[in-house]
Amino acid sequence: MTDEHRLPTRQLIQPDVPAFDTTGLNAATREALVDLLFTMADDEFVLGFCDSEWTGIAPMLEEDVAFSSLSQDEIGHARIWYEMLAQLTGDTADQIAYGRQPNEYRHADLVDHARTDWAFTIARRWLYETADSVRLDALANATWPPLAQLVAKIRREERYHLMHMDTWLRRLAEGGDEARSRLESALERLVPDGPSVFATLEHEDALIGAGIMAEPMSALADKWSDEANRRFSGFGFSFGGLAPKSGGRDRSVPSQPFKWLWGEFTSVYRSEDGATW
Amino acid sequence: MTEPEAPVQEGRIVEAGRLGAGGEPDVWEVFRQEKDGDPMRHAGNVRAPDVELATHYAREFYSRRQESTRLWVVPRTQITDLSDPDLLQPPLDRSFKKPGGYVMRDKLEEAKSRAKK
Repeated sequence: MTDEHRLPTRQLIQPDVPAFDTTGLNAATREALVDLLFTMADDEFVLGFCDSEWTGIAPMLEEDVAFSSLSQDEIGHARIWYEMLAQLTGDTADQIAYGRQPNEYRHADLVDHARTDWAFTIARRWLYETADSVRLDALANATWPPLAQLVAKIRREERYHLMHMDTWLRRLAEGGDEARSRLESALERLVPDGPSVFATLEHEDALIGAGIMAEPMSALADKWSDEANRRFSGFGFSFGGLAPKSGGRDRSVPSQPFKWLWGEFTSVYRSEDGATW
Repeated sequence: MTEPEAPVQEGRIVEAGRLGAGGEPDVWEVFRQEKDGDPMRHAGNVRAPDVELATHYAREFYSRRQESTRLWVVPRTQITDLSDPDLLQPPLDRSFKKPGGYVMRDKLEEAKSRAKK
């Protein structure tokens, strides 16, 4: 095989996101959509990277493989959203994912914590998966077909994530004193951050007007909070702080854990400016 | 891993050994089907405290790259193990049970052409 037949590595990976038709989007909708996609992509990306830190040290070998695979799924979803964003903004997915400064990310407070222990990881992941599921539901009937189609595919993968996190939440809640107390203190710390996933977006009226988002974020937060409370009361837990709050995605002053994580996940990209990986 | 050999009385099997009986109740054997219509083949095993996590781990180990269309997850303790050489590898000549010495080719051709009609 001669060199001219050799494809750059980048092109060997078939993109999950084909070029899609953006002609149906007016400027206002497009801007609002970009805003929404940044939040969803960054949530998945940051959580996926953070949870992948369990590779090699999860509680047992089987869970090690399972949890790493779940984390890869989130990175995969982030990649789809970044590819979509790239097509809307004219950047490349890599530039968006790795080329920003820590204060330019838009992930929710919920995923802006250091890894901590297994109970904390499960608590955060459970809160995130349930919230993400409510958010995806609200986008399932988006009038812009490329979005609706991707949401339908992603929801099918998230089914298993929900199942797996649900079984772990129950195991820790019913798994003896130490597991339960670790879970409870993790939830006490994290539950107030749950609604940050539904922080109001600047242009969400435009998304609702265009039929992309079914309901405002505040209504989604209520739905999620009912669901989470129902599940918690089944375990005899009761937490406050499920009310929607403002500013749940303000990263203008990045936290120490995120600055560290950013340093990790951008290290390869920053090692040679402009290189194609 | 096999239980002590099954006691055999006058050539009859009294009790077949069960894999893992009395030990390793948390090991699950996994069978997978690669595509519709294929037989289920043994894939390997996972360790899990119950059927729920065993199913999740089977999914991760044997289909996270979409390599299976169906999985069977079986507790190892429920597998009946038969490895008695008297039953499986009897010592006397059994070559008369092998279908050697018959010429099948012409009969097979004939059967095929009949089936085509």
